Amino acid sequence: MGLRTALRRIAATRVAVLLVTAPGATAVRLAVEAGVRRRGPAWGWAESPAAANALLVAAGPGHQAGGTLPDSLPGRLWDLLPHPKARATAAGEDEAGPALDSLAEALAAGPGWRSGSAPGGPGRQARKGAGGQDTELVAGLPMAERGDDRDGLRLDVLHLPLGPALPDWPAGLVVDVALQGDVVQEARVRPLSGPGALPPSGDALPYWDEPWLRAAHGESVSEGAAHRRRCAAHLDSLGRMLGVAGWPGPADRARRLRDAALRGAPAGVLLPGVQALRRRVERSRTLRGLVRGLGPLPAARARELGVDGPALAAAGDAYDRLLRWPTEAERSAAGVDSTALLADRRPVGPRGRLDGPRPPSRALLDALPPLLAGAELAAARLIVASLDPDPDELLGEEAPHG
Amino acid sequence: MAETAPLWAVVVLPLALVVLAGVAAGADAVLSAAHGGAGAWRRAADPWREAVRLLVQQPRRTRAADRWLGRIGIGLVPVAAVLAAAVVPWGLRPVTDPAVGVVWFNAMEALAWAAVWLAGWGPNSAFSLVGGYRFLAQGLAYELPHMLALTTAALGAESLRVGAVVAAQRGLWFVVWMPVAFAVHLLSAAALAFWGPFAHPLGRDVAGGAAAEWSGPDRLVLLAGRWLLLAAGAAFAVPLFLGGGHGPLLPAWLWTVVKTAAVLAALLGLRHLVPTVRMDRYMEVAWLVLVPLTLLQALVVAVVVLGRR
Repeated sequence: MGLRTALRRIAATRVAVLLVTAPGATAVRLAVEAGVRRRGPAWGWAESPAAANALLVAAGPGHQAGGTLPDSLPGRLWDLLPHPKARATAAGEDEAGPALDSLAEALAAGPGWRSGSAPGGPGRQARKGAGGQDTELVAGLPMAERGDDRDGLRLDVLHLPLGPALPDWPAGLVVDVALQGDVVQEARVRPLSGPGALPPSGDALPYWDEPWLRAAHGESVSEGAAHRRRCAAHLDSLGRMLGVAGWPGPADRARRLRDAALRGAPAGVLLPGVQALRRRVERSRTLRGLVRGLGPLPAARARELGVDGPALAAAGDAYDRLLRWPTEAERSAAGVDSTALLADRRPVGPRGRLDGPRPPSRALLDALPPLLAGAELAAARLIVASLDPDPDELLGEEAPHG
Repeated sequence: MAETAPLWAVVVLPLALVVLAGVAAGADAVLSAAHGGAGAWRRAADPWREAVRLLVQQPRRTRAADRWLGRIGIGLVPVAAVLAAAVVPWGLRPVTDPAVGVVWFNAMEALAWAAVWLAGWGPNSAFSLVGGYRFLAQGLAYELPHMLALTTAALGAESLRVGAVVAAQRGLWFVVWMPVAFAVHLLSAAALAFWGPFAHPLGRDVAGGAAAEWSGPDRLVLLAGRWLLLAAGAAFAVPLFLGGGHGPLLPAWLWTVVKTAAVLAALLGLRHLVPTVRMDRYMEVAWLVLVPLTLLQALVVAVVVLGRR
């Protein structure tokens, strides 16, 4: 008995966090990520519910728990976590720290678990088959259907939602894919969230676009602050892309630099770091070999879709887009000390022009489905990460997109 | 012919392999935290604490899962590692030294293919299944060059017995005149352990792949098992290419430990240098570059061996 208690005590000191971010809660996510890093080696991230012992929902400020996430999502994920487990919600940057502390306390005080395995989830196959009611059910789950694949063979088709709780995935985004083997045959981007969940509190601006939107509203914003935000936004995108590509070291480096930029590090500190990271990323021939050729989006096609920002400037494949981020982050890092006021011109955020008819991320999402069709699952993840649409920008849109 | 180790080595071998794997995992944790500031060395105990966490965690099941099939797969991972390590001489004496030791090692690593595939199949979950399938593709990609690399070492010694391969390196280590085969074996050690640059079957992009749905002791056995496989793969490079226990001054067993640690260190470095490779891209490199290179290496070795007669 004594041994058991001792083991439990050791186990309770380790926290593997499954973070679910609601659209509009980017600032909270960043606070949580920084908080987890500050708490040291006993804290880490879980890639799936099974790997986690703590569920943390980052909700937007002013939202109820879960906010713009589909209502049932936190509850469903919670059921998938094995015992002993803890959950918390942070609905604002200042709540991130207390929420993390409460997770640690709950795990330390927890009663552990009684024998018998968790009911567990439906797995990820529990999607309704597109064929509807005539699909055969096994244990309440539909069997895969058949369909012609790209080589004209009849193979199983599996309908699977990608998101909303995947590591390094845009907050709240769900892409429904039809898979044959691990090849995506068809992809559809779901409207961001259920009708009940929209709209969020009106005054919240998309985090990454904030300086430019504020300036456009007539507030005085310094150029340095805008550079800082742009630099951090690109480093955030880069960190995710490298995370999906499976290069944890540089991905972590990008996130640290991002946090340093947001914390107000001067250009003299920030710039060398970003430069070193850019060189490291550019020099990796393996990375180039792995990402080259995925999701080509030539300039003409990008313009036609209304894509702007780095994705348009890259005018190429996922690798070109990946390289734009450290390059542009470096340029922004050089200007973070500027105290001049942001000039009164057209607002251009990290993902493109903000005064157009539609937010830049909408165009990025529209570009997704044709690029995903025919891609392998791993490639599809890289393509999504290389465009990195920001769901925060979509919250203000009137009619959800089909 | 080197004689085999005493019977108690059968008990010690799995423990030694666990310690080696744990130290390697600890070193990896330290290395990962190294750019995070002071106190990184304290992370050396992280893998053990994580093991405790998983040990007391609830095992979890998914709907319509083939749990026991999955668990057989998971259990096979450490079993394959220990069985593969049985032919590795610690010092100059292995636990067992069969006449076909090199083939035995190869067969045990192929056992890991079945293991990971079953672990991915078991939970009835798409990401997990994708992870399992990825390992089969990975097997196809890395195994052919690896087999040729192993063959090259056996060719140089004119024997499939690991003891004979070590004995043949008394003068000159095989790594000196078989550098390609050695490099391919290093890559393969990471690949057969689905670890580091070859961790795609457990990839972050599919939420942990074959490991995505496993929790508690199941997860512990799977994740610890891959470190055991890595340790076994690294340890096998020593008798094959690095002269086994041969070396000046130090006793043979210590040389084995030092050399194994060096190989593991090289692998840890590799992990931090290179992103995770996808098999749809790596296959081309493996078959169009590595296979011809290893064939050429085997040819050179064969000519040298014939010339010596």
